[in-house]
Amino acid sequence: MPRPEQRMVTFSIDGLEVTAPENAMLVDAAKYGDVEIPVFCYEPKLGAPVGACRMCLVEIEGIPKLQTGCSTPVKDGMVVHTQTDRVKQAQEAIVEFLLINHPLDCPVCDKGGECPLQDISFGWGGGRSRFIEPKRHFQKPLALSPLVAIDRERCILCYRCVRFSQEIAEDYQLVLEERGAHTYVSTFDGHPYVAPFSGNIVELCPVGALTSQPYRFRARPWDIEGSGSVCTLCPAQCNVTFTVRDERVLRVLGRDNVEVDDGWLCDKGRFAYQAVHVDERVTQPLIRDGGELREVSWERALSEAAAALRRANGRVGAIAGGETTNEEGFLLQRLMREGLGSGDLDSRPGGTLALDLHRALGAPDLQATVADLEFAHSVLVLDCEPVDDMPIVDLRIRKGVRRRHVKLAVATSRPSSLDPNASATARFAPGAGEAFVMALSAALGGGDVAGPAQAAGADAAEIRALGRSLQAGDDVVILYGEQLVSGPRGEHAARALLDLARRLELTSGREGAGLLCVPAGTNGRGLTEAGVLPNAGPGLADVEQSGRDTAAIAAAASAGELTALYLMHCDPLVDLPGRDAWAGALERATTVVAHAAFLTDGVREHANVVFPAESYAEKEGTLTHPDGRVQRLRPAIGHPGATRSEWSVIADLARRLDLDLGVLTGAMASAQLFAAVPFYAGLTLEAIGGKGVRWQEREAAATFPAAEPEAADGAEPPSAADANGRLRLGTFRSIWNATEVRVSPALRFLHPKLRLEISPADAQRLELFQGDHVVVGSDGHTVDATVTLRETMPEGSVFLETNALDGPLVEVRRA
Amino acid sequence: MTKTLLLKGIDEPDLHTLEVYERGGGYQALRKALGMSREEVLHELEVSAIRGRGGAGFAMGKKISFLPKGQMDKYLVCNADESEPGTFKDRELLQKNPHMLIEGMLIAAYAGGITRAFIYIRGEYALQADRLEAALEEAKAAGYVGERVLGSDLSLTMWVHRGAGAYICGEETALLDSLEGKRGNPRLKPPFPANQGLYQGPTLINNVETLATAPTIIRMGGAEYAKLGTTGSTGTKLVSISGHVQRPGNYEIELGIPSREIIYGLAGGPPEGRSVKLWFPGGSSAPVLTGDDLDIPYDFDSLAKAGTMLGSGAIIVVDDSTPVVDVALKVAKFYRHESCGKCTPCREGTNWTVKMLERIDSGEATPMDLDIMAAVCTNIIGNCLCVLGDAMAMPIGSMIVKFRPEFEAHIEAARARNELATTEEAPPEALIQGAVA
Repeated sequence: MPRPEQRMVTFSIDGLEVTAPENAMLVDAAKYGDVEIPVFCYEPKLGAPVGACRMCLVEIEGIPKLQTGCSTPVKDGMVVHTQTDRVKQAQEAIVEFLLINHPLDCPVCDKGGECPLQDISFGWGGGRSRFIEPKRHFQKPLALSPLVAIDRERCILCYRCVRFSQEIAEDYQLVLEERGAHTYVSTFDGHPYVAPFSGNIVELCPVGALTSQPYRFRARPWDIEGSGSVCTLCPAQCNVTFTVRDERVLRVLGRDNVEVDDGWLCDKGRFAYQAVHVDERVTQPLIRDGGELREVSWERALSEAAAALRRANGRVGAIAGGETTNEEGFLLQRLMREGLGSGDLDSRPGGTLALDLHRALGAPDLQATVADLEFAHSVLVLDCEPVDDMPIVDLRIRKGVRRRHVKLAVATSRPSSLDPNASATARFAPGAGEAFVMALSAALGGGDVAGPAQAAGADAAEIRALGRSLQAGDDVVILYGEQLVSGPRGEHAARALLDLARRLELTSGREGAGLLCVPAGTNGRGLTEAGVLPNAGPGLADVEQSGRDTAAIAAAASAGELTALYLMHCDPLVDLPGRDAWAGALERATTVVAHAAFLTDGVREHANVVFPAESYAEKEGTLTHPDGRVQRLRPAIGHPGATRSEWSVIADLARRLDLDLGVLTGAMASAQLFAAVPFYAGLTLEAIGGKGVRWQEREAAATFPAAEPEAADGAEPPSAADANGRLRLGTFRSIWNATEVRVSPALRFLHPKLRLEISPADAQRLELFQGDHVVVGSDGHTVDATVTLRETMPEGSVFLETNALDGPLVEVRRA
Repeated sequence: MTKTLLLKGIDEPDLHTLEVYERGGGYQALRKALGMSREEVLHELEVSAIRGRGGAGFAMGKKISFLPKGQMDKYLVCNADESEPGTFKDRELLQKNPHMLIEGMLIAAYAGGITRAFIYIRGEYALQADRLEAALEEAKAAGYVGERVLGSDLSLTMWVHRGAGAYICGEETALLDSLEGKRGNPRLKPPFPANQGLYQGPTLINNVETLATAPTIIRMGGAEYAKLGTTGSTGTKLVSISGHVQRPGNYEIELGIPSREIIYGLAGGPPEGRSVKLWFPGGSSAPVLTGDDLDIPYDFDSLAKAGTMLGSGAIIVVDDSTPVVDVALKVAKFYRHESCGKCTPCREGTNWTVKMLERIDSGEATPMDLDIMAAVCTNIIGNCLCVLGDAMAMPIGSMIVKFRPEFEAHIEAARARNELATTEEAPPEALIQGAVA
C-alpha cells in the first residue's frame, strides 16, 4: 500500500501564516508556527482523538462554538485563534475543573517536575481555585499490578491508559468503572493488570496517577539525567532513554523512533534495567581455582585465558550470543581467525547456512522494514511469535490491522496471540516449516498442495485459504523466525522461503514489501554481517576455509577435536538448542573462556575464565536491527566494579596472543568494522546518531554481494514425525524467559516455570489438568514441567518452554 | 388547538395488535409509500418539513438525505431511550401503538435505502419493549418486516435492543456505542452518524415520535402536513405535561399555539389558588421560563427566541409552593448522576454545582457562591463533548438569573436556621474503592 502523501496547506494561527501538512490536527499543525495548544487526552500514538479533556479548545473563524484542536484537521485558509479572551476563559475553566478533584500533592508526587498537569496549570490556568468543597477520595495508592501503582485521586480521566489497553496492546484489561465524577480506572474484576506492554501506561499518564512501582520515590526530575541508547534485550532493539541518578539506572523510558518501536516498550525492556545493578552480577574477572570461581585481577585473568587459548593450538571454537555488538563480534572473529587460527565460530544458535543463502536472504532488495508491516497489503507471520520473540513488532502488526486494514496471515506451529486479528491462520507440526512453505508456494502457484501439506502436518484447506490472502503483486511482508531456516533442514527451508518470495514477486526490490527475519539473538543480523559465521567473513565475504558452526562446535568439543571454547555472552546450556550435547562439550573442553554478566548454569559449572560482561547501559558500539538499521549504543553509566569495555578485553587478549588489533577506543573499533564491511562503508557514529541509519538506504548498499542460490530441488520434504501415540514437541521461549527478568526484583514474579503447553484434548486423554506436574521424556532424557492448557493448541502437539529437551516426539506422564 | 394525528384512537382496546391496527387503516401508508419511488417518499418527508421530535429539532427529511447514496449496509436506529425528565410521550406510543412506529421505520428505511434497523429502548420500559417485540413478530409474520416487503424492493431486518439504564444512552452517539456493546459514552462529532455511525456505517437516528409520524405524512402528503403548525415548526407535537397541573398527561397539539393554552387550557393549570412560578418548556434540559412567559407560542423558533427550547416537548410546571433551590438541586443531581464522565467540564462541573447547591440549602453559602455557580455554568456551556453538560448548566444558569433574589433569600434563611442548630450530624464514613462525595 502506498504511504499517504502529504500535501502542505497554509493557514493562519494567531495572525501568523503557517504552512503545515493538510489534515494534520490543529494541535500538531500549530507546532509548525511555534504555537502550543495544550492537551491532556490527545496522543497521536493512541489513534483517533477522543476529545475528552477539552483542554485544546480553540476559536476557528466561521464556526460559532469553540472547537477541539486535537480533532479538527487543518484546512487551507483556516483562521485559528488560540489567544482570544474566549479561548483563554475556556482554558482556565478546564484547568480549574481538572484541579478541583486533584489532590495537588505535587511535593510528594513522582510526576512533580515532569508533569503536564503542572505545566499546563502554570501555563494556561487561572492560578487560583474557587472550589472549597471536599474533594473526591479514593483509597490510595493501590497496586494496579506489581509493576504499576495507581492513585485514583490524581487521575484526570484522560482515557489514555484505557485506550492503550483497548486499542494498542489489545489486552482489553483496563476499563473505566462507574460514571460521572465517580469514574475510575480499573481492571474489570480488580485483577492485576499484568500484560507484556502494561508499563507504557505509566509513560502515557499525563499526571501522577500511574507510577512505576520500581521507580516510585527513587528520584525527582532535578536529580536525574536522561541518556539515550538502545535496548538490547531482544531483536526489536527499541530506542530507549535511561534515567540515571548517581551512576545508577533508575528507569527506562521509550525514545520514540517510528521506524523501530513506534514509541512503545515492552515490560521487559522497561523494567529489566534492574538487572544492571543486582548483586548477582559478575563485576570482577574470575578464574576457576580448585573447582571454584575466584575473583582475580584483570592481569591474571587475561594471562590465564591467553595461555589456555595458546595451549589449545588452534583447536578453539567460539560462540557469540545475541547481545554482542557488531564491534565485539568483528574483533572476536579477528581474534579467532587471525590470532588463534581457527575458523570455528558462529553466532546463530541453529547453525549457519550456505553463504549464497545468507546473501540471498539478506539482500537489500528483499528486505522489508518494520514500518512496512503497517503499510503492507498483507503480512504473513511465519514460524515466529512476535510477542515473545520481538515484542514491539506485535504492536506494529496490530496497528496495521486495526488502522490500515492490513490483511494478516499467521502460519505457525504454536498458536499465536495474533490469531484473533488474522484473516487466515494455519498450523503445522513443530519443525515442519519447510514442508509448510512448500505447500504455501504450491497454493500460490497452483501446484500440489496436499502432498507437502500432509508432510507439514497441516490442513491443505487452511493453506489454500492462507494463500488467497497473499496476492502476488501486492505488498506482502513475510515476518519469519530464524528457527524456520535453522537446523539440519534449514537450507532446504531457506530455498523454499526464497521460492515463496519469488512467487510473491518480492525479489524485484519492491518498496514496502519483502522479508523480515526475527533473529534468535538481539544482534543476529549484525553479527552475521560482521563476520561471526564459520563460512563468511565481515560483509558476508568468502572465507578460504569454512569452519564449524554451532552444532558442529558442540560435537567437535564433545569428541575432543576442540579443546577450548570461547563464549561471548552465550551460555549454551541456557541459550542454545541441544542442551545435552552442549553439556558434554563443556564437560570435555579443557578451557572455557566466557564473557558473562551472570553465572548461569553453563558458566558457573564449566568456565575456567570469566570476564565480567558490560550491561547494555554501559556499552558503546553499534547493533544492526533485523531490518538493517545500524543503531548506536551509548554508555549511560560508568562500569561497575572492575568491569571494562569488552572490545578492550578482546584487544588486550589479542595482544597477549601476539595480535595487535589496532583499537585503542571504541570509536576505532567501529571505524574498523565500517571499513571492513563494504556495505557499511562510509558510516560514522555521528551519521548513525540517535535514530540509526538503514544501510540499505545508502549508496554503499550496492556493494552487497549478489547471490543466485539454486532454487529448491523440488524434492519431497521429509514428513513431520508421525505421532503414533506420542506427542510432537516444539519449544518456545516466552518474553519473560530471560536471565535479566529472573534477576530483576520487580520482574521476577513473571519469570516462568518450565511450562508444557498442551491441548485440552490431549490433556483429557492423558488425564492431566492445568498446573499438574508432569515428566516430559524423549529418547531417555526427561524434564519436569508444569501443565498449561491452551485451548487453541492443535491436538498432538505440545510446546515446552526453553531448550531443555529436543524433539521431535515426546511422552508425557504425570510426575 | 388540539389535532389528533398520532394519538388518534390511541385508547382503542388492543390497538397494539396487528389486527386492530390494520382495521384502523394500519400499514396502508406503507403500501402507498412502496407504490412510490424512494425519491418520491423522501421528497414527501422533506416537503413536510417535520423537525425531529427527540430534542434537537433537526429536519428529518434533510437527515435522511445526508445518507450516502449507493449500495452499502446502512442503518436505521430508532431512539426509544426516552429518559429526559418529564418526557413520557414515546412511552404511550410504544405501549399503545407500536405498529405505527414499525410502519414509520419501514417508510424511513425505504426512503433512505436502509436494510438494517434497530430500536434502542430504555430498559425500564419493560412492558413497552414486550409489546414492541410482540408487534415486531406479528409484522414479520405478516411480511411487513423482512425480505422484499410486500413484493417491493424494500428488505429490512429489525431488532429491538433494551438499554441498561443510562440517560446518556439517549445521546445519539452514546446510543450507538451502547448498541455496539461498548460503554455508552458519546463520540466525537464529526464524523456524524449519517457518515460513520453504527459499526462505522451510515446511520439514520430518529426519535420514536418522529418516525411514528412518517405514516401520517405519507397518508396526508407532505405538503398537506406542512400546512399544520407554523412555517418553521410544522405539524403536530405530543406534549407531556407534568408537575403542578391539574390534568397532567400527554396531549397532541398543533405547533404554534400559545403555551398558556397548553398549561391552562389542556392541563388545567396549577391547583386552585396557586400560580405558575416557573416552567420547563422542553424537558429538564431547557432553560426555564416564568409565569410571565405563558403567551409565547409553543413552537421551535418562538421558544428559541425566548432563550429556551422546545426540546422533547415535555412541559414541567412548578408553582409558587416550591422553592427554586429545591428544583435546581433536583435537576443538578440528576445530571451529575447521569454524566458519563468522559469530558472534563460536564464531569466536574455538574459535581461542583451540586455541591454548591447543597451548601446553599444547608446554610453554608454566601451570595458570592451564586456568582461562582453562574460562572461554572457559563464555563460548561459550549465546552463539552456532548450536550449533557449544557443540559444542566442551561436550566441552572437560567434559574440563577431569573430567581436570584429568591436564591439569596434562601441562603440567608438557611444560614440563620443553621446557626440555631446545636448539633451536627457526622458525615458518612468514606467507602473504599468507590468515590464518596
